[in-house]
Amino acid sequence: MKRQQADDLRLDHRLAATLQYGTWLASFVIALGLVATWTPWPPSILAAAQLVGARLVVAGVALFILLPVLRVLLMLAAFIRARDHRLGAVAALVMILILLGFVVGLAEVAR
Amino acid sequence: MDIGFGFWLFTVALGASALGGMLGMAGGIFVVPILTMYGGVDIRIAIGASIVSVIACSCGSAAPFLRERLTNIRLAIVLETATVLGALTGVLLSGILPEAVLLFIFAAVLLLSAWQMLARRREPEVAIASTEPGGLATALRLHSSYEDRALGGLVHYRIGSLSLGLALMYGAGVLSALLGIGSGVLKIPAMDSALRLPIKVSSATSNFMIGVTATASAGAYFIRGDIVPTIAGPVALGSVLGAILGARILLVIASDRLRLLFAVVLVGLAAQLALTASGFGSFGGPG
Repeated sequence: MKRQQADDLRLDHRLAATLQYGTWLASFVIALGLVATWTPWPPSILAAAQLVGARLVVAGVALFILLPVLRVLLMLAAFIRARDHRLGAVAALVMILILLGFVVGLAEVAR
Repeated sequence: MDIGFGFWLFTVALGASALGGMLGMAGGIFVVPILTMYGGVDIRIAIGASIVSVIACSCGSAAPFLRERLTNIRLAIVLETATVLGALTGVLLSGILPEAVLLFIFAAVLLLSAWQMLARRREPEVAIASTEPGGLATALRLHSSYEDRALGGLVHYRIGSLSLGLALMYGAGVLSALLGIGSGVLKIPAMDSALRLPIKVSSATSNFMIGVTATASAGAYFIRGDIVPTIAGPVALGSVLGAILGARILLVIASDRLRLLFAVVLVGLAAQLALTASGFGSFGGPG
């Protein structure tokens, strides 16, 4: 029981750090992209800077969307490592359902 | 996108998220109507931007709850099977439902949220035995405890009706994907009445789940092109900063009067959305 509590505590802290640093990273990338997009660059580099800025904003938004996916993956790995097969199966199901969401998006684009 | 509109999006998201944070809710419920009615943003694009901001707020505010061990992560992952399935349903429905129907549903959710805001949330009686003895909650070891400094000790709690909680969470997932919101309107009854969680655990666990629920629909919307980065970027950034600001303000102000004020604001937004959906209102703004 004590081992399970220690495992849970470690997982809580790992998830907290992942979500916290991930949020800051995604926010920083978006902020960088917006600054690059909105800065009045000289005409010679304006188009290139705006393109880089727009791509950074896209990357930041994508990071935000992927952050919870990473969180589920960490939980899945932790449950498997702890041989908690029931919760491992539940986490795997959540992961599959999330991926299905991406597939639905792809299918709608392909139509 | 010009810098003026970008700053407007950032400021709206910051304000909405700060207000939401003061009341313990996600700012999406304010962001979507404001972007739609005053920013001239298409409702599907506003929902796409809001869903990213919901993820940002959920991820950004989860860490302290996790470190305090208020979040029941085992329960969260179990309930996420229902919320994510609901979100997938919401994604499929969002492609079919006409804009006017989305606006009407949003107006109804705003009214329900206003009512919930005025009805004080009471600490549910902690179940002494699970209402599903020997059931799934026990098998999955979902019953837990947390350290309550105000009460000066460890509070043990047991999960109430997991099946009813899962059913309500499915509905919350549908609403989240359809409207780009955190769906507190269904999560609060699920957590309080069905699962009978202590309020602190319920708030922390619900916040933790919102990100994964929103990601299921955000992935589809992103690929579908409904998430426009130039709109979602400033909204996400404003939301993260607003959530931090809201949490700080919450510590120094009494929220009772704010609740009344925001209930009035929510009813006003609901009326405007309903009028717009009926064809009596019009979109317009800086966009």
